[in-house]
This record gives sequence, C-alpha cells and structure tokens, in this order.
Amino acid sequence: MGKSIVVTSGKGGVGKTTAAANIGTGLAQIGKRVCLVDADIGLRNLDVVMGLENRIVYDLIDVVEGHCRVRSALIKDKRFDNLFLLPAAQTREKDAVKPEQMKALVDELKKEFDYVLVDCPAGIEQGFKNAIAGADMAIIVTTPEVSAVRDADRIVGLLEASELYEPQLIINRIRPDMIRKGDMMTTEDVIDILAIKLLGIVPDDESIIVSTNRGEPAVLDKKSLSGQAFRNIVRRLEGASVPFLPLEETSRFKRLLRLFNLSGSKS
Amino acid sequence: MSKEACIIKGTKHGLSILIPSGLDFSEVLAQLRARLASAQAFFSGATVYVSAADRELKPEEKRLLEQTVEEFGMVISEGKVPEPQTQAVERREDSRSEDGENTLLVRRTIRSGQRIWYDGNVVIIGDVNPGAEVVCTGDILVLGCLRGVAHAGCNGNVSATVFAFRLEPTQLRIASYISRSPDEKMPKPLEPEIARVCDNVIQISAYQSSQS
Repeated sequence: MGKSIVVTSGKGGVGKTTAAANIGTGLAQIGKRVCLVDADIGLRNLDVVMGLENRIVYDLIDVVEGHCRVRSALIKDKRFDNLFLLPAAQTREKDAVKPEQMKALVDELKKEFDYVLVDCPAGIEQGFKNAIAGADMAIIVTTPEVSAVRDADRIVGLLEASELYEPQLIINRIRPDMIRKGDMMTTEDVIDILAIKLLGIVPDDESIIVSTNRGEPAVLDKKSLSGQAFRNIVRRLEGASVPFLPLEETSRFKRLLRLFNLSGSKS
Repeated sequence: MSKEACIIKGTKHGLSILIPSGLDFSEVLAQLRARLASAQAFFSGATVYVSAADRELKPEEKRLLEQTVEEFGMVISEGKVPEPQTQAVERREDSRSEDGENTLLVRRTIRSGQRIWYDGNVVIIGDVNPGAEVVCTGDILVLGCLRGVAHAGCNGNVSATVFAFRLEPTQLRIASYISRSPDEKMPKPLEPEIARVCDNVIQISAYQSSQS
C-alpha cells in the first residue's frame, strides 16, 4: 500500500504544479512507482509541465464517471516506466467530482503505486476539498511573500480541520541576494509563522522556467540548483536526513570571494 | 401527454432547455429527467442554458434543475439564452448525418477548456487552441490554426477528414484512430493540410484542391 500526498498552497502561482512534477519525477528517478494526479479540473497544467499533453485520451472525470478504467486513463511518462500521470479534464469544472469519488480513486491508485501525488488547484473551494480527500499527507508550497505565507497558514488550518495533520513545507523561489539585503522574508521568518516541518527550500531559478516550458522537470537537470533542491526533497521524503541547500552560506562564500577580489585589485 | 414539460433546443452556443409556464414543477423535472436519460451519451458534455419563459423559478427549483442537468454530465451556462431560435429541436433525431449534410459554422476561436460537439460537420472560422476540443460525426474544417484536439467521424466514420490552414494539433482522432503530435519540435506547417485515415493510420498531407 502506497502513500498519497497532496501538494497544495492556497495561493496560486507559487509552484504547486512544478513541485508536484519535480517531486514525482524525482521519486520515479530513484525507482519508486509514482502516479501523479492532476486535481485542477478545468485548468489543468501538470500534463503540459510533464510534456505529456498530446497523449491524453481519457481523464480523471472519465474514470470517476465510469467511462473508462483507471488503467486506460493513466499516461506513462516519456522518461520513466514507473511514472504515470492521471490528467484532469479541461472541459469540465471542479464540481464534476465529489470528495468521496476522489478518495476512492486515490485509494485504488495507492494499491498499485508507492506514491500517489495529487496536484491541488489554487483556492480553498471544491477543488481543494477534492484534492485533499484521499491524502495521507500534505506538502504545502509557499513563497517568501506575506500573502503566500498568509494563505499557507489558512491551508494548514483547513487541513487540520479535515484531520490531515503535520503538513510539510516547501519554500519556493527564495532569492538569497534579496534576503541578504533584508528585502525578503527568510526561511526562519516563514517557519516562525507557520510552525510546520520544513521539507525543502528551492531557490528562484531561471532553469525552472526553461524546463517547465520544455516539459522536462528540472529535477532531471544535474546542473540546476533548483533541481538539486528537489532531489534533496525527494530524499527527505524517503526518510533520509539531508542538509538544506546552503543559500546563506553561498552568500558568505561569495562575500569571501569578493574580499579576495578586493584584495586582489588592491595589490 | 397534453403539454410538453420542457423543450430542448440546439443553438450554436449549446443546448437550451425551455421550461414553459403552467405545469407543476415536479412534473417538469420528471419529464426532463426522462428526456435526458433517453439520449444520455448525446447530451453528456454539452453546454446548457436553462430559461424559464414566463415562469418564475424559485432558487430551490433552480438548484434542482441544475442538479438534474449536471447529473447527465452537462455543463450549466450562466446568463440568458443567446439568440433563442426556433429551429432544429433535437437534431439527432430528425437528421442522420452520416453523409455530412448538417454543418455547424463557428465564427470564433475555440479556447482551452471549450468543447464543440456536433452531429455533422464543423467549420471553424478562427483557431482551435491547445486544450480545446472539437468533436463531431463528420468532417472538421478549421479556417485558422488547429492546435488543440480534433475528433472527426466520432461515430465511427473512417472517411471523415480534418482540414486546417495550419494543422498543428495536440492530438488527432478520426473514428477510432488516434495519433498525437511528435515530442520533438517540428517545423511549422506553411500550407493548408488535411488529415485522413489511410492504411489504418492517420496521415497528413498537403491540401490540393484537386483532392476531394
């Protein structure tokens, strides 16, 4: 029996879908059987980010309504044989599914997969309720912005109300340079407010935009810093203790470098 | 049955259900249910406008109506019925269009999440964007760029074709054949193309007017 994880945030545009795609691909990369479920009915994106849009024939709604079996709706990933996607319907709306149906679906998938990763839509309405219905665990994605953290806090409360305890946090799009100048909330600031376990920190990274547009998750890019961050997150999910990416230390290192440069230019 | 409890009409914006006055609401609901159930596959996925003529619907009645319609997989559209025309009630019954006699003309771009379903041919003056779907029993002609999903001959008509000024679909389906775009980047088509089933696969070729 596998584990189901919902990736949620409250606020839109903080990187839920990117996180789901990267964590899912990362888990598949280390040999886990993974199923990604796009619960964002009507505004699906996960298929595009995974580069699998052109393979969609059946979707989640078709499964729920009994037009096809789960197996025929699952799309096998291009890169990994142990990674599958259950796409959302684009021409329908969130209320086409009920939480009980989602739970039954996720429970069925859990029998086949080590991990079932559900990509939650933004907001706290029907779509959110559907997405968390079958989850054993929640990952909350936020960015170091007051509004995103506020929404994340709301989500923590709502998850608790639905008896989903101990969510884990990913802080996305961190910019060490801005933190250094005091212009951005630090990891500690965010943790102070939310008081939940930190699963990972992901730096703001241009390569994410490139990889998203290409349909190739950044976690596969050995050179990408955000890819490294997601690989670390995957290992932590698997129970390993991995130190967080040394964002602040990079700055110290850079300061050292700058010192050297300065002294170099003087001599 | 003295009076029909509801009239279902096809308009170019979707289906519209008209609820006449002077009938008990529960009677209306029961008849609507029976009508929808008799052709569930046809109605599923359609956009619906519900209008009550001169009857005043209570919020509770409205909710019940919506629930019923949604049960059959239809999508309720807010707002007034656009152009309430009095033609073609239940097209499927009065015309079998295997030969492609009926044609729907759509003068707009079909965007992500929008779906066109028609029993006949579909001509679109505009584009079909990624995430949009055009499904019909006959041919599909896009006088623009086809980037979404097109399914021609969905009743099993293998001689159906898909034509577009620029044919760059996410996925093409003709009858029960499916093909998808290649994963690697392809050069953009520079001329109108037509897709048809040849030797059990969907083939795309440049469109020449000498072809049918």
